[in-house]
Amino acid sequence: MTLPTQTLARLLLAPLLVLAAGMLVKGYTDVGDGFAAGLLAAVGFVLQDVAFGQRRAESLLPVRWAYRLALGGLGLALAVAVAPMLAGEPVLKHRPEPGVSPVKVGTLELITPVLFDVGVCLLVLGTVVTGLHLFAHPGEEEEQRS
Amino acid sequence: MSPVLPLMIAWVAAVVLALLDSRRRWVAWLVVAALALVFASSLALLLDVLAHGPRTTVAGGWPMGIGIVFSADALGATFAAVSVGVVLAAVLFEALHGTRSRTFGALALFLTTGLCGLFLTGDVFNFYVFFELAMIAAYSLTTYGQEARQLRAGLVFAVVNLLGSFIFLIGVAGLYRVTGTLTMELVAERVATVDSAATVPIAISLLVAFLVKLGLFPFHFWLPTVYASARPAVAAILGGALANIGAYGLLRFGADILPETLRLGAPVLLVLGIASLLYGSLQAVARRSAPGVLAYSSIGQVGYVIVALAIGGPVGYAAAILYAVVNSLNKALLFLASELRGWLVGLAFAVGALSVAGVPPAAGFLAKLEVLRAGVEQGAVVLGLLVLGSALSFVYMFQIYQHDFWREERSVPAGGRAIGAVTASVAVVVLALGLWPEPLLAVSRRAAAMLAGGAG
Repeated sequence: MTLPTQTLARLLLAPLLVLAAGMLVKGYTDVGDGFAAGLLAAVGFVLQDVAFGQRRAESLLPVRWAYRLALGGLGLALAVAVAPMLAGEPVLKHRPEPGVSPVKVGTLELITPVLFDVGVCLLVLGTVVTGLHLFAHPGEEEEQRS
Repeated sequence: MSPVLPLMIAWVAAVVLALLDSRRRWVAWLVVAALALVFASSLALLLDVLAHGPRTTVAGGWPMGIGIVFSADALGATFAAVSVGVVLAAVLFEALHGTRSRTFGALALFLTTGLCGLFLTGDVFNFYVFFELAMIAAYSLTTYGQEARQLRAGLVFAVVNLLGSFIFLIGVAGLYRVTGTLTMELVAERVATVDSAATVPIAISLLVAFLVKLGLFPFHFWLPTVYASARPAVAAILGGALANIGAYGLLRFGADILPETLRLGAPVLLVLGIASLLYGSLQAVARRSAPGVLAYSSIGQVGYVIVALAIGGPVGYAAAILYAVVNSLNKALLFLASELRGWLVGLAFAVGALSVAGVPPAAGFLAKLEVLRAGVEQGAVVLGLLVLGSALSFVYMFQIYQHDFWREERSVPAGGRAIGAVTASVAVVVLALGLWPEPLLAVSRRAAAMLAGGAG
């Protein structure tokens, strides 16, 4: 790829991640949620792949950890869903409860669904990056881990 | 007891075990332990539902109509318990064999998560989500073994069933369009007032999707390749647990949500069911390998479920549920036993063969009896064709039994005593349900009465 593409790709990574974080936070009052945020963040990584080629991009970025990131995100989202059940409440019950005014950081309200959305975001990001890696190197994954 | 308990145990276990390598012995046993826990909780849920009536919970504790509903009734809990039981037997079988892929355990658990979710949800869209989760896990599981034929089977399976899922999604979107809700109970209520010009296309798309999943006659083309190429444990999961999605889906969406439309389409279902029954049986008679016979037998056997569903009413629905449950146990037993040898396994296979053929004291006798009882009202032609199908199943099952188990020349790895014991224990369940049929009959009648009564 040409130098302008590479420069642009590199320049865009950080803003895309910030945009993704914004999308996640905005989701509570406006358009956006964890899923869209995850996709946006993943676009940042896909862009590096396209601009630098799979090999170089993967040597620069922690792609190896994407698989664990995805499972970690799923685990986080599930933990938010299951935790209320341990206290005998319905699944996915959120804290603080509706009606109780939560702590606010800017427009973001600190409630457990935010954690759930962070989990979803990580899951989407991890899945896209892992998928891309597996399509580029089919069969390699199995050998590495054995 | 919360209806989401089995679902959440399976899901959390799946995530944790996805990080571990199932080829290690202790991980394989951890998978078995997790599935045993899921099985125990789904059995407890079934007993709870039978004793105290349906259990419903709304995610997040939101009011009905706002939150997503999870609901366990006799029908869903029965299918959940049976399907999880089959997956448990298959995974135990594979753990004793030595699991060959690192992802097998996690995939089996994700599949269980999907199955528990869709049997225990009260939301039409969530049904689709869990359905897709179970299917995706199943596509990957089909390739287990990693030989060319398994990869080919996986591709065929994925392509055809993705189309099926897509058609199902169109049906779900249609239901939402005409009723404005996704909660099954409310959909069932509101759809009664909708013009049949709108409900018939929706019902057709749902029907096609579930028939593809079941592998009924005109939609069966993918099934023999997949079932015959998959490893025995995977084939048992596909035939014994995953195929339940089709039977359950037809009962839930047909009998529970769209009963009027089901009545309208009953003649079509009756013809399709009988066609599938005869086609599957005739093809099975012509096969010479156990997996081939079993694959075509699956196509034939689901015909009975569809015929019973088409007959409808409390008797028909009860027969459909009973047949679906017994059929899934039969298929699990036969696929597990198909590649092993030895007197214990031979005995287990014979029990399965008796059950498919409908010979007492195996549970299959009971199931066939119920279907025939329901079929009596349909007149001599239907009854005659059902009996013909039965006779053919007797022919192909014993043909393959004789061919595979009485000839000693085939040297197949015996597979150890413990594996034989797992297979035999499934056979014992099939026999026990045949000898003491009251609980199963009572459960299926309870569920059928609920469906026929129209109360979700």
